[in-house]
Amino acid sequence: MSRLTLILGLIAAALLAVSALVGTAPVSLGDSLAALAGQGDAATRTILWEIRLPRAAAAFAVGAALGLAGAGLQGLLQNPLAEPGVLGVSAFSALGAVIAIFFGLTAASSFAVPVAAILGAGVATVLLAAAAMRGAGSVTLLLIGIGLSGFAGALMSLALNMAPNPYSLSDLVNWMMGSVANRSWADLVLAAPALAIGAALVLVAGPGLRALSLGDETAASLGADPKRTRLLVIGGTSLLAGASVATAGTIGFVGIVAPHVLRPFVGHDPQRLLVPSALFAGIVLLVADIAIRVLPFQQELKLGVAAALIGGPVFIWIAARMGRSFS
Amino acid sequence: MISVNGLSVSLGGRRVVEDVSFALGAGEFAALTGPNGAGKSTALKALAGVAAVEAGRIEIGAAPAASLNALARARRVAWLAQTRPVAWNLRVEDVVSIGRFTEAPAAYDRMGAEGRAAVDGALAKADAAHLAGRAFQALSGGEQARVHLARLLASPAPCLLLDEPCAALDIAHQLSLMETLAAEAAAGRTVLVVLHDLELAARYCRRVLVMEAGRLVADGAPGEALSAEVLGRVFGVQRGADGALFRGPR
Repeated sequence: MSRLTLILGLIAAALLAVSALVGTAPVSLGDSLAALAGQGDAATRTILWEIRLPRAAAAFAVGAALGLAGAGLQGLLQNPLAEPGVLGVSAFSALGAVIAIFFGLTAASSFAVPVAAILGAGVATVLLAAAAMRGAGSVTLLLIGIGLSGFAGALMSLALNMAPNPYSLSDLVNWMMGSVANRSWADLVLAAPALAIGAALVLVAGPGLRALSLGDETAASLGADPKRTRLLVIGGTSLLAGASVATAGTIGFVGIVAPHVLRPFVGHDPQRLLVPSALFAGIVLLVADIAIRVLPFQQELKLGVAAALIGGPVFIWIAARMGRSFS
Repeated sequence: MISVNGLSVSLGGRRVVEDVSFALGAGEFAALTGPNGAGKSTALKALAGVAAVEAGRIEIGAAPAASLNALARARRVAWLAQTRPVAWNLRVEDVVSIGRFTEAPAAYDRMGAEGRAAVDGALAKADAAHLAGRAFQALSGGEQARVHLARLLASPAPCLLLDEPCAALDIAHQLSLMETLAAEAAAGRTVLVVLHDLELAARYCRRVLVMEAGRLVADGAPGEALSAEVLGRVFGVQRGADGALFRGPR
């Protein structure tokens, strides 16, 4: 394990603890610490262990999944602007989840939402990868991503119109803005298999991603099968994006910011970028989630909104810098 | 070490390599030359396993190439492409470490002592040891070419294929490249290098193969394969009284 990974891991652990100590319920620091250690009264223990910690864990897990997916997609498409949110993967994933919810598939199985979210993400990722394999450049891919996002939004509205048992519009808004409030351990357990398998697939593809830096042909001549690398990353990022959307709705830009910030620290190596990006993105979402609970707004800000408030400007900054280096 | 029998390759429906046959033994250092569009790069790609063989048979180390999987093939043949993209601003030693993908697909820092020694050795052979630690995209074109050469030399493969490795190199580094390749051949490796500089080919290679319009039209010692007849017919040049080449009627 590299020093960078170790430091980020320690920060993440510390922030998980901090997140458990912060919230709207009036619990003193001493009581919180006692409850964390398994002591104190039952009500406080419930607040910490059943409300705050699962929420913090969900924020970290979703952030880590998006960070890993972002780093994996960037390595595959060789484009620092690639990320599930920007490329429309998250939107398609949300579409899958919305279809599952509004057509009552959740009654059939509690896995319906995660599975539908993952399938939605898979559809978008396969479309993007097909375009990338046919030689689509950065601009084309981003434009396809914009198209996919808009199209998924329209289809979500259509799903709402056609749904046999229409829920309120606010449910849809919840999915599109993203939040980890009121998440339980059960929600996390549901997402855990997809997150674990997705992470494993992307990490296994790591060495292949570095070889792919030298182009498809050279990678193939070196014994690093580009097709296998592509399948691993596409499958892995679909699982990661799908599971994160199933847990928290769509949260954009986190997957872009983390790899971009860390790239210089790992010698721009697409493999060594993967784990630190996951940890860093997890930290970003943890901090954002702590911030929206501490900030004195009348109504709690949505996590996806907070993430976009930070991530949007960073995205524009990266895009502007890229434009300058191309011209 | 490597033998080719009746090799034909088509690109986009057009035959670019037609019925090419030759064999290279261990320790042989050969140049492959010919006018632009003769099919040299495509022939090399077919040997490296990245261009589909339409007809014919390639054997690598007595095994039919078709029977080898990508990893087994990469262990036997290393290829330096004519165009060499590098997508990210990788560190020099990490680029070179990719050359050892078959042995340990790890970044330089995570390689074992043996892998790191191989990378260091390859960088030294390519006169690029002083570039270690630098960012690839900050290097000059010639320096990048030497790092790519080191990447190739770091491979454990006994057969090296190089497509115009001299491009972007200054004259001293061109000579040092040829000396390095000759030393690799002397150590038992099979080296096939696509060259446009006929003087360089004649000076360092004991054997020269000449391709024209997809076919192998000459194969032998430099004096024979680059005879006045071949120079005139294939390249459209003549050797003047002072030994220099000048353009003449085909």
